Amino acid sequence: MSALELRGIVKRFGAVTAVDGVTLSVEPGEVLAIVGENGAGKSTLMGVACGLYRADAGMVRVLGRELPPGDPRAAIEAGLGVVFQQFMLVPRLRVWENVVLGREPRRLGVLDTARARREALAAAASSGLSLPLDAPVEELSVAAQQRVEIVKQIFRSARVLVLDEPTSVLAPSEIAQLLLTMRALADRGHAIVFISHKLREVLEVADRIAVLRRGKLVQVERKEGTTIERLAEAVMGSDAPAASPAIATTGRSATAVARLVARDLRCQRERGGEALRGLSFQVAAGEVLGIAGVDGNGQTELAEAIAGLRRATGTLELDGVDGLRSAGWAQDPGAARRAGVVHIPEDRRARALCLPLTVEENLSLGWHAQPPYARGRLIDRPGRRRKAEELIRELRIDPPEPLARAGDLSGGNQQKIVAARELYGGPRPRLVVAVQPTRGLDVGAAARVQGALRAAAAGGAAVLLISFDLDELRAVATRLVVLYGGRAAGEAPPTASDESLGRLMLGEAA
Amino acid sequence: MTSWRERLLAPGREPVWGSSLAVLVAVAASFLVVAASGKDAALGFAYLVEGAFGGPGPLGETALKSGVLVLTGLSVATAFTVGLFNIGAEGQLIWGALAAAVVGHALDVPALLLVPASLFAAGGAGALWGLLAGALKVYRGVHEVISTILLNWIAIHLVHGWLVPGPLGASGSGTSVSIAGTEAIRPAAWLPRLLPGSRLDLGLPIALACATLAWFVLTRARIGFEWRAVGAGAGAAEACGIPIRRRICQAMALSGAFAGLAGALLVLGTEHRYPGVFRTGYGFDGIAVALIGGATSPGVVAAGVVFGAVRAGATRLQLAGIHPSFAELIQGIAVLLVAAPRLFAPLLVRLRTYARPPGAPP
Amino acid sequence: MTAALSGVLEFAPPLVLAALGGVLSERAGVVNIGLEGMMRAGAFAAAVGAFFTGSPWLGLACGAAAGIAAAAVHAALSLRFRADQVVSGIAINLVMLGLTSFLLEATFGSSGVTPPVPALPRDSAGRTALAWIALALPLLLHFGFSRTATGLRIRAVGENPHAAATSGVRVLPLRAACVLGSGALAGLGGAALSVGILGQFDVRMPAGQGFMALAAMVFGRWTPLGAAGAAFFFAGADALQRQLSFSLHAADLRLSGVFLALPYALTLLVLAVGAGRIRAPAADGIAYDPEDPTTTPESRT
Repeated sequence: MSALELRGIVKRFGAVTAVDGVTLSVEPGEVLAIVGENGAGKSTLMGVACGLYRADAGMVRVLGRELPPGDPRAAIEAGLGVVFQQFMLVPRLRVWENVVLGREPRRLGVLDTARARREALAAAASSGLSLPLDAPVEELSVAAQQRVEIVKQIFRSARVLVLDEPTSVLAPSEIAQLLLTMRALADRGHAIVFISHKLREVLEVADRIAVLRRGKLVQVERKEGTTIERLAEAVMGSDAPAASPAIATTGRSATAVARLVARDLRCQRERGGEALRGLSFQVAAGEVLGIAGVDGNGQTELAEAIAGLRRATGTLELDGVDGLRSAGWAQDPGAARRAGVVHIPEDRRARALCLPLTVEENLSLGWHAQPPYARGRLIDRPGRRRKAEELIRELRIDPPEPLARAGDLSGGNQQKIVAARELYGGPRPRLVVAVQPTRGLDVGAAARVQGALRAAAAGGAAVLLISFDLDELRAVATRLVVLYGGRAAGEAPPTASDESLGRLMLGEAA
Repeated sequence: MTSWRERLLAPGREPVWGSSLAVLVAVAASFLVVAASGKDAALGFAYLVEGAFGGPGPLGETALKSGVLVLTGLSVATAFTVGLFNIGAEGQLIWGALAAAVVGHALDVPALLLVPASLFAAGGAGALWGLLAGALKVYRGVHEVISTILLNWIAIHLVHGWLVPGPLGASGSGTSVSIAGTEAIRPAAWLPRLLPGSRLDLGLPIALACATLAWFVLTRARIGFEWRAVGAGAGAAEACGIPIRRRICQAMALSGAFAGLAGALLVLGTEHRYPGVFRTGYGFDGIAVALIGGATSPGVVAAGVVFGAVRAGATRLQLAGIHPSFAELIQGIAVLLVAAPRLFAPLLVRLRTYARPPGAPP
Repeated sequence: MTAALSGVLEFAPPLVLAALGGVLSERAGVVNIGLEGMMRAGAFAAAVGAFFTGSPWLGLACGAAAGIAAAAVHAALSLRFRADQVVSGIAINLVMLGLTSFLLEATFGSSGVTPPVPALPRDSAGRTALAWIALALPLLLHFGFSRTATGLRIRAVGENPHAAATSGVRVLPLRAACVLGSGALAGLGGAALSVGILGQFDVRMPAGQGFMALAAMVFGRWTPLGAAGAAFFFAGADALQRQLSFSLHAADLRLSGVFLALPYALTLLVLAVGAGRIRAPAADGIAYDPEDPTTTPESRT
């Protein structure tokens, strides 16, 4: 009897068919990897399996028991546990409260706190993990939160454990730890489903590998019977884009003039505590400096400080002009923009787009007070329209309709709006700050955005690329600086090994 | 070439249909309530229509009330633009009315100067009260729903319980609590009447001019775009260099000014003083008008006129034995229905399918 | 001083009850601006119920029931139809305003007040049972939130409903229950005004207390004890105002308005100074769409 059986699953969201007739099974004690690019339907498939979504067709069976559609409770009862990419934790509650939520041990109708904590501890131990039970989840590191998620499923006696893109937010050594945990759990008889787009990791830990493309199941192979190249081919299919051009190390001469010089940057976190503790680095015109590091080491605050959204101390010089002194260019977003600094933020929905407004209006944000978008105090509607059409063409924004509501576009196209606006909407930028610019984008959109960034650098801008994804950094950056604990832990070329980068990312000496 | 039927039913027009349906259903439902309580609903409806449109007198009343409602509706709609809920139109209206009454009495200048001066004072007073709520929100984080409601009560008590009976009350009223209100304004301050045989005055035209101004600013001016951006995504607006705090305060000030003007219309047009007994409620009606009007200028004008008609007509309802607060009932039900756009979505989809010419893609 | 103290116990219960109602609803993630309307409905229904049955206790029950009915509309709009919760609450207020005036006219032929109705009995110190309820209920709710599984689930649902859903918690039914409970409490608070304090329904009830209850909730950081404490504080300010007004012959000086405005101004001042870093429940006001994870407030990643 299979641990998890999916038969003929179909799921549509409006006009989009996310999952198109997938049949798959996982055996106890095995690790099945599901690979595919962003948008292939992997997360949706698991969402259907665990009852978060109702399938339009098909059947789900866990340990022989058929699940009623759209019922997360039934899936949990049957023994299916899912660790999502976006953690399903309640930030303000404590670790033990999150673990036992929904299955709380009671005594005389009241929550039995002591027993809850005991059982949470036991669940953690049985998966070989340790957790600070009383800490509010929002105070934990990302890797620790992920462990809470895993323990949560073990506590619920999950026999099938699904992990959705668990490694995209971890440092290399944390990834290795997680892969070991997966193997250990499988050896104890659990069935593990490992969803990822990182083929190398998948080949390390999986027994069998299933490939999804555009919602369809393309193949299922045993690990022994395949290679990375064969897998990549299956994932991309016939429209594998031409290999990205090798990064031209732009022959940086030692006398290249630094466009941006940061010295001893210090900055506070939103909720108190120091995010940056004396960070120093330089970016030259024409180069793409990648800032690597595990999320939470000050990346967000760094981007905000440069873009004028957060106060910082130290020195931040753009072509020699310090932005951090009073009335400097880094004191507010408007001043930064006028100084030639553009910003592609981490959270496009909250910080870059006004979703209810049209594509045309969003394309004008930030530049809307100048020609060609405005004439005096009035909006120059024909001018704005022409510019919008130009930008839509430049990055192939789809649908190419200026009056479409920005919120209706896909994530990839929304990001294209932001990139087009920041990089081409106004005068040539002198400094580009991009944070996770291709997160969640499909291959086509990601390629366009990365291309635009490289073109900006080629055009003379200094580009600061902040990302938690080493693959993205390797694809675009010409030089890497690793951020750890609010400081520069070290520098490395993009060709550096996972191991050496990983050590820097965790604060160990290079 | 799309047919006019298709254009009316295109997506984006749904709010218009939603609101119109909501009002019709609300009127019907309210009359059902009336019938259920044993009164003559048909007679009541007849009186309602007669009271709103039956002759120059009723038309004048409708115009009067519509003018005030359009302005309070604009007030709430302007605040919506920057994402704020201005429940405080009532208080802003009261201060505006008082300012108009004081200036209209105190200044001894010809009408050509006095009317604008009084209007200006009213707008300014309302603007200050609105600005206060806006500043509390952006600089102290006080949610505007709570602050504007509290400010309403403060305004009501200070004006009705102290200023009007006390220092600003009409002299010669002795020690009894004044029911006469403030001193009468000078005749030069009266809003000119426009239609003989009715009380129709400059109020509605002023309101319509304000609506036009609001429409122009929001759709054509840079600052209007920035306001809309703040309301649509304050985080993104800020990151793109828009000074969100300043814009929110500006919008709240304008919002208060509109409400203050509404108060001026009442004082300069109808009451000719700040009366001792002042019907408070236009400010809250403005919320309904803005919601039903979809927070756009043309929508607010339409909704304002509709509800102005309802209110004018409602005064006749007592002839059918129906309490005039019936108008509030209609309003409330209409807002309830408008609040749930999904209620009408399936109906509209079906209508749209019906309107599509054969063979056209969905 | 003791006069002021007993004044607080006399006038606080409506505000405390409504404030607790606000906390219950908003901790579960549903904004409830309609407390004012629910209180009004409760005040009216309680008066009518007491009048026709002769029992103030049945009147209280009617008040709670009316509150639940009003809350049911809010719940349906906000949860089933995913309407904007603030708009829905305001709509309730408007409808209740019109409906109670209309029904008052229709039932009693009056446009201001009902005739006197049977009021709650008072003990030797002049207190009604409501005073004890207002003291005990906050503690009960506090215990419920922190020590029961349901309380844990309510808190979870108000912070991250998707997380709660994947843990098997039924989000919408739980939220609905909290909204209905909120209505019951607000309705009871309104009933306390008519049947408990005044002995009749006055068309001006609850005179903004539904909104002050919201202020108390914010000031009390969305906790039962905090909200109740804030409510007591506001009631105390109100009692103080009454004392001052009386002893200073404010009416003669035509200053009554200033004193009446004082509690509201004080509330505003307190909020302005103290609001700052208070965080509402993270999912408060966001319509829950089971199929759209972007309606989840972002957790740390």
